[in-house]
Amino acid sequence: MFESLRQKLNQFKQTVNNKERALDDAEVGTAANDATPLAEGLEEATSEAYTPPAVHVDEAVEAPPSAEAPTQGVMQGETVRPTRGKSLFEREIKEKDLEEPLWDLEIALLESDVAMSVSEEIVDTVKRELIGTKRKWRQDVGALVERALRDGILKVLDVNGLDFDELIKQAPKPVTIVFTGINGTGKTTTIAKVAYRLKNQGYAVVLAAGDTFRAGALEQIERHADNLGVKLIKHQQGADPAAVIYDAVQYARAKHKDVVLADTAGRIHTNVNLMNQLKKIERVIDADLVVFVDEALAGNDAVERALQFNTAMAIDGSILTKVDADSRGGTAISIAHATNKPILFLGLGQKYDDIVKFNPQWLVNRLFGEAET
Amino acid sequence: MVMENLGSSLRDTLKKIARANRIDEKTLNEVVKDIQRALLSADVNVALVQQLSKRIKDRALKEELSGKLNPRQHVINIVYQELVALLGEPISVPLTRHTVIMVGLQGSGKTTTTAKLARFFQKKGLKAAVICADTYRPGAYDQLKQLCERIGVAFYGEPDHSNAVEITTRGLIELKRYDVILVDTAGRHALETDLVLEMKAINETSKADQRFLVLDSGIGQQASEQAKAFNEAIGLTGVVVTKLDGTAKGGGALSAVAEVGTGIAFIGTGETIDDLEKFEPDRFISRLLGMGDIKTLVEMIEEEPPIEMEEAEAMLKGEFTLKDMYKQMDAIRKMGPLTKIVQMLPLGSLGVDIPDGALQSTKETLERFKVVMDSMTDEELEHPRVIRSSRIKRIARGSGVTADYVRELLKYHKTMQRAMKGVRSQKEMQKFLRKQGLK
Repeated sequence: MFESLRQKLNQFKQTVNNKERALDDAEVGTAANDATPLAEGLEEATSEAYTPPAVHVDEAVEAPPSAEAPTQGVMQGETVRPTRGKSLFEREIKEKDLEEPLWDLEIALLESDVAMSVSEEIVDTVKRELIGTKRKWRQDVGALVERALRDGILKVLDVNGLDFDELIKQAPKPVTIVFTGINGTGKTTTIAKVAYRLKNQGYAVVLAAGDTFRAGALEQIERHADNLGVKLIKHQQGADPAAVIYDAVQYARAKHKDVVLADTAGRIHTNVNLMNQLKKIERVIDADLVVFVDEALAGNDAVERALQFNTAMAIDGSILTKVDADSRGGTAISIAHATNKPILFLGLGQKYDDIVKFNPQWLVNRLFGEAET
Repeated sequence: MVMENLGSSLRDTLKKIARANRIDEKTLNEVVKDIQRALLSADVNVALVQQLSKRIKDRALKEELSGKLNPRQHVINIVYQELVALLGEPISVPLTRHTVIMVGLQGSGKTTTTAKLARFFQKKGLKAAVICADTYRPGAYDQLKQLCERIGVAFYGEPDHSNAVEITTRGLIELKRYDVILVDTAGRHALETDLVLEMKAINETSKADQRFLVLDSGIGQQASEQAKAFNEAIGLTGVVVTKLDGTAKGGGALSAVAEVGTGIAFIGTGETIDDLEKFEPDRFISRLLGMGDIKTLVEMIEEEPPIEMEEAEAMLKGEFTLKDMYKQMDAIRKMGPLTKIVQMLPLGSLGVDIPDGALQSTKETLERFKVVMDSMTDEELEHPRVIRSSRIKRIARGSGVTADYVRELLKYHKTMQRAMKGVRSQKEMQKFLRKQGLK
């Protein structure tokens, strides 16, 4: 996950850097002599991967640019004066120079399944951050660009920090967690994984078979409960899910259990009655945590769904499933943005221990190629 | 919502070209960029969008404007043709003896779709049977078995056995007297090598004539790659797109069929067993672009089909009855759960702009209006004028709403009636009626 986005982000950094450098070179070019190879470089600079001619790179590296640049002209027998009356040594990053790379950046985000609206917002943040920034002549703008990107993405992901483990530890028992989401995102499997994880941490877990609608749903969660050796509270098919979950909470209270994990039926967010059912569950249960489950394979619709579910039953955090299916990971960014709540876990496969805690800082570090923490 | 803004920005740009009498490159670039955005936010594959926009641009500049078309229609027509080409022909299933294998990613809706398909064949008078070859997901056996029992379709499965290939072999023998045999398989993705091998083996064993990929309409950029992998493994003959009752636009499905070179056979539009519809490219494309009237537009371009004059005349005279309104609402409702329905309401097409979001609960309202109208007598539907307070009370009681709500409905009807009177010329009328789905 995130490998292709990471490459694209680095490419963006590189492009902007090269572009800015080409602009520097171009200025020297016009000031010095049109016949220098720099003029050719300018034309190439508009295409994506411009590498300045080797000579100039060397020059830039070997000598302080501020001293070197004007003398270059002098050596060729001409006096160099800063053109257009502004300093050659300081330059502003201009909007028109960024237009093309920013569009490429947006495409890169879209390719990684970041939803359109969210991509636009990240690109805007980066744009705002960069445009008008003063930079020195021949300064490496890569670092500036990276910081802007990092901020743009972190701003979206690092929201209302909620530590799942801390919350379970500190909340009065039993802690009730309700899982919601559309059909087939992996709610039940995720509940089994979370139950497995909590059980290993020494908590007593109760499952509530809140999906009373789908054929086979009862059997599915029953089998998980058997495999994991945890208690399952269930009614028959067609029962009121709020009642099932309520019973599970009562049971947990009476038997001093620690955590209730409540399943709900998958529902499409345009179904008004089913969304109202969620509202009822919220009224009856007053859950400590509402977890929205969606799949990493989802595209733009992830945003709309998350918003609709959030309206019916305020989401406290999300879990992203099927991350192992070679997903691009952008969905994490979309959902975190739509709900303004953190991503708690990632689901990585079909086994009970295929679940990892999600950490935005880790993701950003990974995107920008630092050591994993 | 952002998506609505997107739809309206596309509309704005198209309006802009409509005013221009020829397309210059700058305007075209703007339009193409907007179309790109619409497609990208509908989850169409990025590379595909780039190819597509290049072709659209080339064609729009090269091809002559035919006399009938204004530039807007010209561009939309090209977009439409290109999208239709990508979608391929809708796949129609043979109504003869055959075997179908259902494959797809986890949670895409294979099991539900299998049952729906069995029901489809059953309704066509064929004897359908289902084999459960999903030995991985807990509850998969029970789910399919219960669904089959509900519709009275033969079912074969072995809950305690874990070899899906052997189960399939035995199932085929057991069910050999049935006409259509559907094999449901476990969810898997392209990177799960073992599972891909298993799928190949099940496919070979079953000698399936139809190999359907079940694809979630909400899938993003992964769609084409996953479809490609499935296709390489077993050679797909069609795609079933599920969960189209939500808000997903299904661009992933478009990318998948474009990649594989097959077509869409069915779409799933709900949780109940009959919520399976045959695929209609026009409606799908309208949804993709967020434009309600693409079919109308294209039809208009091709030829002006005659409309039912009686209906048209009745409406022109202002006798727009509640029955007409009912039909109209039904037509609108069938367009799918679009908040963009706004564009298709008469006020919108009469050039009155309704702000996005103003009619957010349109679908809900339409449905409730229909319920209220169901509580009316024929006389009341034909002659709304007879509805007075005691009838209002009765209707309200019958449909479970307040009397005020019934009055609101009548008020809405009056507004519509007035709008209808406002439409003057015959030509305008025809266009308008077609937009309303009244042919």
